[in-house]
Amino acid sequence: MTTTLLQPTATRHEIAAATDTVTDTASVTKSMTRRLLTSELRLFARDPLTLTFVFVFPILTMLIIGGSFGTESRHGFPVNPSHWYVASYFTVVIGATGLIMLPVHIASYRERGVLRRFAAAGFPRWCFAAAQLAIGLLAIGVAGSLLLAVAAPVYGIPTVADPLRVAAGVGVGATAFVAIGVLLGTLLPSARSAQAIGLLLFFPSFLLGVGGPPPTVMSEPMRKLTEVLPLALANRAIREPWLDLGDATGALLGTAVIAMVATALAARRSAL
Amino acid sequence: MTDLTAMHALVADHQRSLVATAERQRLARLARAQRRIELDHQHTKESSMSRQRVSQPTTHSRDCSRRSPAAGEPVVTVRGLRKSYGGRVVVDGLDLDVAAGEVVGLIGANGAGKTTAVECVQGLRRPDAGHINVLGLDPSRDADQLRSMIGSQLQSSGLPDRLRVSEAIDLFAGPRARNRDALLEQFGLSHRRRYPFAGMSGGERQRLFLVLALLNQPRLVILDELTQGLDPAARREVWSAVVQLREAGTTVLLVTHELDEAEALCARVVAMRDGRVLDQGSPAELVARHASEVTIQFTLTAGSAPADTTVLDQLQRLPGARTISNQRGQITIHGNRDTIAHAGNWLVARNEPVPGDLRIHVPDLEAALLTLLDASQTNKKEGQ
Repeated sequence: MTTTLLQPTATRHEIAAATDTVTDTASVTKSMTRRLLTSELRLFARDPLTLTFVFVFPILTMLIIGGSFGTESRHGFPVNPSHWYVASYFTVVIGATGLIMLPVHIASYRERGVLRRFAAAGFPRWCFAAAQLAIGLLAIGVAGSLLLAVAAPVYGIPTVADPLRVAAGVGVGATAFVAIGVLLGTLLPSARSAQAIGLLLFFPSFLLGVGGPPPTVMSEPMRKLTEVLPLALANRAIREPWLDLGDATGALLGTAVIAMVATALAARRSAL
Repeated sequence: MTDLTAMHALVADHQRSLVATAERQRLARLARAQRRIELDHQHTKESSMSRQRVSQPTTHSRDCSRRSPAAGEPVVTVRGLRKSYGGRVVVDGLDLDVAAGEVVGLIGANGAGKTTAVECVQGLRRPDAGHINVLGLDPSRDADQLRSMIGSQLQSSGLPDRLRVSEAIDLFAGPRARNRDALLEQFGLSHRRRYPFAGMSGGERQRLFLVLALLNQPRLVILDELTQGLDPAARREVWSAVVQLREAGTTVLLVTHELDEAEALCARVVAMRDGRVLDQGSPAELVARHASEVTIQFTLTAGSAPADTTVLDQLQRLPGARTISNQRGQITIHGNRDTIAHAGNWLVARNEPVPGDLRIHVPDLEAALLTLLDASQTNKKEGQ
C-alpha cells in the first residue's frame, strides 16, 4: 500500500496549478478551434468541386428552370414560376451543402487519417464538428446571397411575405442539413461512398421536393413522397411564408425536429 | 483526508465571499480542480490496492506532467494493458516502460498489437483493462492535456491535399511551439513552405510529419511506421532526422516492423506477438539471445590445400565453432561470433591466398525476431 495524502500547502498549490491548467486549457482550446476554422475556410475556398456544387450548380439550374415556365402562374404553379424557383433554390444550396459537400469532405478526412492526426495533436473532439458547422452555415449564407444576387436582375426577387418565418425556416433548415452532413460524414467509410450516398439522397430530394415540377402536376404517390422528404420539408418551411402560400408551421416544426435529432446524433458521432 | 477537508473549506470560503460573475466562474474552476484532486486520491488508492497497477505518488505524477522528466525518469509505464476488438484480443496483458531520453522500439509482425498499444498510450483508444501512466497522466482521463505533450507521427494518416507546409505548421502550432523556421531548416523543408501536401514526395511528407510531431516541444515522441512506403534514400533521410532526436535526448517510442530501422535507431526494442511481449533488450542483446549463430563459408581449392579430414579437424577445434561441413571443397562453419575472428586467423595463418568466395553471414535483429516468433508459435501449438 502506498500512502499518498498530500500536505495542505501542497494541496493549495495543486488547486492553483489545476486552476491555471483549466484556464490554460480553455484558451488553448479556443485557439485550436480558431486555427482549425481558419484552415478549413482556406481549404474550402480552394476546393473546386465544392465551390462548383455549392455555388455554381444552384445558380445555373435556377437560371435554366426558372426561365422555362414563363412568369404567369399556370402549369400548376400557384405564383409566378420564376419566383417559385428563386424561393425554392435557396433550399438547393442547403441540400448541396448538407448532402454532398460536408459528407464528402468529412469522410475523405476520415479515410485519409486527417481526423486521427487532429485527435492526436490534441484538437478537442467537438472542435472539428464545430468548424464544419460554421463553414456549412457560412457556405449556405454566401451561396444563398449569390443566388439572390444573380436572380435579382434576371427574374427579380419575390417579396418576402413573412420575413421572420422565412428566417426561421432558413436557420432551422440550414442547421438540420449541416448536422445531417456532419452525421453522414462520420458514418460513411470513404469519400467515394459519401459521394455516392450524398448524390443518391440529394437528386431525388432536389427533383421531387425542391427544384423539379410543382407538386400539383405530380402523381399522388410522388406528392405523398414530397411531403416526407426532409429537404422538401425545409423547402416548404422557407418557400411558403416567402411567397405568401401559407405559414408552413408543420413543415417548420418537422424541420426543427430533424435539426434537433440530426444535431444530437452528429454531436454523438463526431468523436474523432 | 486532511487536505480534502482543507480544500472543501477553501471552496466554501470562496462561496461566501465571491458574488460577481467572474468570481463565480473562478469558483467553478476551483471546484473542478478540487474534483480532479479527489479523483487523483481515489485513483491512487485504487492503484495501490491492485498489484497490476502502478503505484506512483500523485505529487510525482503531477510534477512530471508540468516539467520535462529528467533522464532515466519514467515517461511511459504500462501494466497489464488489454484491448480487444469485437472479441479478438489485440493487446493481451502488455507491460511496457519507457524512460526519459530513451529511444524504444516496438517490433513484431503485422497484427502484433503495436499500433493499438501506442494508440492507448496516446489516449486515442480506451483500454479494456490495465493501467497506463504517461508523463504522470492517465491517457484515458487526461487525453486533452496529455496530447499537447506528445508529438505523434501516426500510421496511415495524412493532411488535406491542398494544405501548404506553412499552413500545416500554423494549424498545429500550439502555445509551446518552437522556432518554426529553424525546424523546417533542420528537416530540409524550408524551401517547401508554399508547397501543398499533395505535391510533396513521400520522404518530404514524413519529414513534415516529424516537424509537426516536434513542433510543440513534446516530452514524448511517438513514431508509428515512420518509413513505411519510402524508398531507401528517403528512409535514410528520415532515419537521420530520428538520430538527431536521439542525440538531443528526446524520448521516442518507435513502432516499426522494419527491423533494420529498429536496429539502427533504438537503444532498446520490445518484441511483440499477439499482443504480448516476447522479449526485450538492446538489439544486440536480442540477437545474442535468439540468433547468435554466424555462418562462414569459403572454398579451399584442391591446389592450395585439400579439404581433407586434417583441415576439418583444425576447423572443428576453432573456438566457438559448432558444426563444420564440407561439400566438394566448400567449407561451411556454424558457430558463435568469436568464430569469425578465429576462422579469419586460421585462413591467414595458412600462408595461402584468402579464398575469393569468403562469405560471412552475421544474424541480425530480423533473424532474432524470426526465431522468437517461431519459438512462440511452437509454444502456442504445444499449449493447445
